[in-house]
Amino acid sequence: MGRVVIDKEKCKGCFLCVDVCPKKILKKGTNYNSKGNYTVYVDDPNNECFGCALCAKRCPDMAITEVYR
Amino acid sequence: METLVFQKPSSIQKDCNVTFCPGCDHGVAIRIIAELLDELNLVEKTIVVSSIGCSVFLNDYYNLDIIEAPHGRALAVATGVKRSKPDKFVFTYQGDGDFASIGLGESMHGLSRGEKVTAICINNTNYGMTGGQMAPTTIIGQKTTTTINGRDPNLQGYPIKICEMASICDGAAFVARCSLDSSKEIENTKKMIKKAFESQINNQGASLIEILSTCPTNWKLSPQEAHKRIREELYPVFPLGIYKDKTSK
Amino acid sequence: MTKTAEKVLLKGNHAIAKAAINAGCQCYFGYPITPQNEIGEFLSVEMPARGRVFLQAESEVAAINMLLGAASTGTKAMTSSSSLAIALMQEGISYIAADNIPAVVVSVMRAGPALGYIFPSQGDYFQTVKGGGNGDYKTLTLAPATVQEMIDYTYKAFYLAQKYRTIVFLLADGLLGQMMEPAVLYDYPYEEIDNSDWALDGAKGRPGRWIGSIHRSEEVLEKKVLELFKKYDIIKQNEIEYKTLYAEDAEILITAFGSVARIAQAAVKQAREAGLKVGLFRPITLWPFPEKELYKFATGKKLILDIEMNMGQMLEDVKMSVSGQAKVEFYGRPAGFYFTPEELLEEIKKQMEGLK
Repeated sequence: MGRVVIDKEKCKGCFLCVDVCPKKILKKGTNYNSKGNYTVYVDDPNNECFGCALCAKRCPDMAITEVYR
Repeated sequence: METLVFQKPSSIQKDCNVTFCPGCDHGVAIRIIAELLDELNLVEKTIVVSSIGCSVFLNDYYNLDIIEAPHGRALAVATGVKRSKPDKFVFTYQGDGDFASIGLGESMHGLSRGEKVTAICINNTNYGMTGGQMAPTTIIGQKTTTTINGRDPNLQGYPIKICEMASICDGAAFVARCSLDSSKEIENTKKMIKKAFESQINNQGASLIEILSTCPTNWKLSPQEAHKRIREELYPVFPLGIYKDKTSK
Repeated sequence: MTKTAEKVLLKGNHAIAKAAINAGCQCYFGYPITPQNEIGEFLSVEMPARGRVFLQAESEVAAINMLLGAASTGTKAMTSSSSLAIALMQEGISYIAADNIPAVVVSVMRAGPALGYIFPSQGDYFQTVKGGGNGDYKTLTLAPATVQEMIDYTYKAFYLAQKYRTIVFLLADGLLGQMMEPAVLYDYPYEEIDNSDWALDGAKGRPGRWIGSIHRSEEVLEKKVLELFKKYDIIKQNEIEYKTLYAEDAEILITAFGSVARIAQAAVKQAREAGLKVGLFRPITLWPFPEKELYKFATGKKLILDIEMNMGQMLEDVKMSVSGQAKVEFYGRPAGFYFTPEELLEEIKKQMEGLK
């Protein structure tokens, strides 16, 4: 069981995190933030996230601010 | 009970907005340096030397003492900082144009003198901030805004090999080239920077970490394609690895 | 600490170096160039002997940036160089000025343009006072005229640099650097300035400090430059320094700085002995220039005769200060032929004839 905290205002929609997530629970969003960037969102209906933090370590914008396990 | 396994390092500004282009690797390098400052308990004794280029805005990200060096002069400024305050921890954060073109003299002399400082050089094979001109590290055939048909060795000569040059400096204690193109390489880059920082802490000499990094905007590639380019086009020209290690001796 | 003072026979360059040590200079960065090499050579022995830093840089460009780094930590630091090599430092000088950090630069002028030669010259008045770097900034400039003053104004340069967090030039020339004469070497007479509220020493128990010149908003950049010039106004109010000799009742007032002022002083004394009403106005701070003071002394004079070892550089500030209150003539030679008092007396007599 894990959980990621995303600051969508800081997300620039590079989606590098989507590629590294081993459980493929990070998805490209179709909503954009106040800066006009499409942002990533978590879609984890089966609670697959195990808090590996690969997404946070890949994010160049420090938009994934916290990861819990 | 949840355990916090990742958070922003303490020396990152509280409401830090990373202003690099989407997918640019600079933000990753800045974060892992800050993580190491925490891990090695260096935050309160660090003086950072920023440089000119995309690397100039470090004060937007770091809640640290920072001095801005003129273009190319980071190693000279770092020398002045460290010589005047030998008990402080000093690192530069530079691009390849700053480090290896306009600043090649200061860089090589700083390493040769064995200044007890660490240079972090982000190599993205072009001048990012000014719009993607040819850099000292632009590879043969690479198109930039000043080599629109690709770098031609007969016209523009060959790329500078930063780590290879640095490795012949007797004053350098640790020299390595790494990359940020994958999670594995990010981990390795952090390990390499840690070794470099430790060599400074242990007074072993100068250290340099060259980091292959993307510039998706000026390369005109998606962040994903840009990482692929590092693996396919840059690895053969700029092989990763440790080029010098005097730290174990 | 006991106060000491001793009369010693000193070379001008050594006087600067010894005064720098007494002033508490902790770091010296430099690159060889004649006619100021004695400063670096002396400090290469004496600084390490005191646990201080002497570092021969790979270039003047590196030296000024090492100075920038040391200055950012609040450390008393200096470099010394000459003319064409000071030219190489201009970018760093602009940064030090913009950063509001204290640094001392000694410039021992030689004859130019370009390589020229090692003869004494005053050809770098413009370079120093008007600035060769980019943007709106000023360099506080002190112009000594004797070996004794090399000591006095080296002390003052360190003090003013710290007091105003600014770059200070000691502007000498090859004549002053190379000559030997007796001088009194005494302890640094100024108070120490606390810099703990701005210097970089690691963000311990406080937010990080940034020293830099890039400002991405017009408002902020303009504010920074205006603040810089507010500081310059205070320096203008407090620090203008000049000397006069027989200036009150003179018909001809000579203006000269540095070594030439000293030669002119001898010429003025000879002129007075010959019954000629000649006086001298010698600016010691070249920036800030004693504009109002010169205006006052120039008013009512028959002639202002500006004498320099160049083709007329301070002349522009003299004309601007005199503001048409008197006729201004110039006498100068550009490359290395320093004047004798007799030569200047001849020129004074010639100018007096012209007034009749």
